[in-house]
Amino acid sequence: MNIHIRERQEGTDMPQAQVPAIEISHLERAYGTFKAVSDVNITVPRGSFLVLVGPSGCGKSTMLRMLAGLETPTGGSITFEGREVASGLRGIIRGPADRDCGLVFQSYALWPHMTVAANVEWPLKVAKWSGVDRKARVAEVLKLMAIDHLAERYPNEISGGQQQRVAIARMIAPRPKILLFDEPLSNLDAKLRVEMRTELMRVHRATGATSVYVTHDQVEALTMATHVAVLKDGRVDQFGSPDELLHNPQTAFVATFIGTPPANLVPVTALDGSWFFAGVRLGPSQDAGSAQLMYRAERLGVTDHGAENAVRAEVVESVPLAGRTMVTALVGETRLTAVIDRMHRFAIGEPIGIRLPSEPDGVFDEKGIRRS
Amino acid sequence: MTALTWPVASGWRRGMSPTLMLGLALCAVLAVLVAAPLLTVALATVSEGRGLSVWQQVFAGRIAQNFLWSPLANTMVIGVLVALGTIAVGGFLAWLVVLTDVPFRRTIGVLATLPYMIPSFAAAFAWGVIFRNERVGGQVGVLAELGIAVPDWLAWGMTPTLLVLIAHYYSLAFLLIAAALASVNADLIEAGTMTGARPSRILIGITLPVVIPAILSAGSLAFAGAVSNFAAPAILGLPVGMHTLSTRLYGAISTGQVERGYVLAIVLIAVAALVLWASNRVMAGRRSFATISGKGGRKRRFTLGPWRWPLLAVAALILALTTLMPLLALLVSSLTLRTGDIFSGYTLHFWIGGSDPAYAQGQAGILRNPETLRAIGMTLAFAASVAVVSMVLGLAIAYGITRLKRHAIGSLLNQLAFLPALVPGIAFGAAYIALFGAPIGPFPALYGTFALLVIAGAAYTLPFTVQSGRAAMEQVAGELEDSARMTGAGFPRRLLAIFLPLTARSLMAGGVLTFVKILRDLSLVVLLFTPATPVLSVLAYRYASEGFLQFGNAITALITVVALASTLLAQRLQGKAEPWLDEDRGETR
Repeated sequence: MNIHIRERQEGTDMPQAQVPAIEISHLERAYGTFKAVSDVNITVPRGSFLVLVGPSGCGKSTMLRMLAGLETPTGGSITFEGREVASGLRGIIRGPADRDCGLVFQSYALWPHMTVAANVEWPLKVAKWSGVDRKARVAEVLKLMAIDHLAERYPNEISGGQQQRVAIARMIAPRPKILLFDEPLSNLDAKLRVEMRTELMRVHRATGATSVYVTHDQVEALTMATHVAVLKDGRVDQFGSPDELLHNPQTAFVATFIGTPPANLVPVTALDGSWFFAGVRLGPSQDAGSAQLMYRAERLGVTDHGAENAVRAEVVESVPLAGRTMVTALVGETRLTAVIDRMHRFAIGEPIGIRLPSEPDGVFDEKGIRRS
Repeated sequence: MTALTWPVASGWRRGMSPTLMLGLALCAVLAVLVAAPLLTVALATVSEGRGLSVWQQVFAGRIAQNFLWSPLANTMVIGVLVALGTIAVGGFLAWLVVLTDVPFRRTIGVLATLPYMIPSFAAAFAWGVIFRNERVGGQVGVLAELGIAVPDWLAWGMTPTLLVLIAHYYSLAFLLIAAALASVNADLIEAGTMTGARPSRILIGITLPVVIPAILSAGSLAFAGAVSNFAAPAILGLPVGMHTLSTRLYGAISTGQVERGYVLAIVLIAVAALVLWASNRVMAGRRSFATISGKGGRKRRFTLGPWRWPLLAVAALILALTTLMPLLALLVSSLTLRTGDIFSGYTLHFWIGGSDPAYAQGQAGILRNPETLRAIGMTLAFAASVAVVSMVLGLAIAYGITRLKRHAIGSLLNQLAFLPALVPGIAFGAAYIALFGAPIGPFPALYGTFALLVIAGAAYTLPFTVQSGRAAMEQVAGELEDSARMTGAGFPRRLLAIFLPLTARSLMAGGVLTFVKILRDLSLVVLLFTPATPVLSVLAYRYASEGFLQFGNAITALITVVALASTLLAQRLQGKAEPWLDEDRGETR
């Protein structure tokens, strides 16, 4: 039934602004009985920067490969600009080249036998651009990526960061409408990574394309994205803007995965209308049983060991952080991280007290689903 | 890359470090085994006041055309066409196994490595069993027996020589190209797919250029092998007067024109070595396509669709014709009364028959004839001794090379040890005659002794065994070795507890393969053969040239079976790392 509706959509002339750039619905990819991706629904408008983030093995790369047309979905559908490009029922409808998208591989996948310029030019040759246009476009993108001086080098003669720029130049040369990135920064060192992050956002703005970016690094997700989908075990745990994820996590997993430092999650039990953790009364509880309370690190206070209404904890880590101090301590098996406003170096193993505010920032049930 | 680090030499400043002493000793050994014979050959052509007269005769004398130029032309034609043919056949199979979803990939991959291990004279004899016609008299092949007229060009000369050599050497091309294809990251192909290039365009624009180094080196190895091959042109070309450098060289030395033969040997070495050297030069350019950093290594296979089964049929035909068919033809013909006549009766006489005047002028079957029995024992002992000597020497040299890497002695060792790879077997044999054919000072002439055969065989197989030794050392290099050193274990302890257990299997596999190389060799021993040292391959060749085809075929079948069984054993020992067979995730839906 879905197909009929979609097919009609293809034919009708909907006003362009209303057509989402990417619409993913009920997408599934199964390998035998194992579902690498299941029931994923994401829609983003043109020009957005969608980041798929999650731990390794969460299915984010499979998602990206399905978007690129390198992998066939086993269920659901993918629609680009109102046109269905692949579905579980019809397989790949439009091949990788007919989707108007480009992909930067994690390994860069530069062809080792071609110079930098030839690498960038080859896709244009395949697309049958004229020689004059090709030359002009190659010069243009090499300049945009600030690698015009490397044009005649071979990929194994340039640095990792430069290889990365070549890969991006090669992708944007044919002017794709959708840019796909598969963990493109994971092979770079920390400093270069920050630089390239800025560079990527510049490319995104300069091309006006819609980008889909896969990473396991939540910092990258929060800095670059207009839309973030947090994936876990092949499903979308939460989809929204970076701010939504940060301020209103819908699951315990998102709460502990997003943010620097991520929020604290405290396992509590209800007794006499109050939550208790490690023998300390925290605040009023509406329900009985157990739950997980979320507290942001900046709302935790550090006090003396044994202070009243404070949880007794032992320091495992302490880091100075832009004029403040981030201290992590263990209460039994629970890790608590607090950010305090003064500079203080705690000793490892030092006993401290941690004071939790009476109102938590969120309540999750035992399965990690948000209650309030 | 430190490879087994031995006690460092710095404590031995006052004297010479033991490593250096070992290096010098090994250099001396190699000088005698490799450098001296080659130098003697060169000197023998100009010594005793001959000046350049021998060279003049060979290059410009009355005999030049027949003796040098026309064999040289044949040799070059064979080299070039065999190189192209092996690249086509080996490349096709490699592509099929590595990059497509053809059924039975694993089996194809194993079978495609076997023809190289089958002696080239086996394929040549087998060709005769089927295609031999009346041209040179004697018994004829199956087709002629059936009344089918086999044209001369198909029965003798260039065409069958080329086909037999391609069938023999395509395994090399397969191995090299398959390994190169397997190293092509799936991302490279997919990046091409993303541009919208069709599979054929990706093959021509991306895959082929990346594997071109492998293709070139496969081609140059096949070229070098083909120009030095003796068996195929000798069996299929000589009877109709087609000469190559190697058959001319054999003819010259066995008819006493020793110095002229040596000149041919030098020409042959130059031809083979030049091509190998040139291909190395081309490879060494800036486009040495080192794999680019990055993760990933997934394989992606082209779905052949309706072509799956037709292509499998083509591959199966190639493999059957080059592995099963020769062996079958040899076995069947060794059981026939007349070699090509497969319908009028069979006999086991040529295997186990006693002396009977009705058969083969009263000669007994090969398993009853004391002469062949002795040759079987001799050959097995010869091949086994070479394997042991060459492996031990190869390991020692490999150690010397790794330890003295930045030292002049190290690179000298390296170059000396790889010199035999550039020298065609028959020329190497000639060099050994030149040096050891006469007494040297107080030492008696070694020619005709078992020891000489073993020494020549060991020197000849050194490039291979040194390579196995280095591979074994690098296998245990780096962190494994370092972690053992951190525990404070001394060198002997590390050797016994870490190095040997980890490398035993691959070293043994190297030994078995060396054994096979010697067993199936004809070109090296054909000149060193004497009645005192009967080697099976030469015996088979002699029987066949005297018209006792069944004896020759029976012996060849025996060698082939032992060689194949040993090769499979070696592959088992190695656990056969075949990266291109790694199972991939569901691309082949």
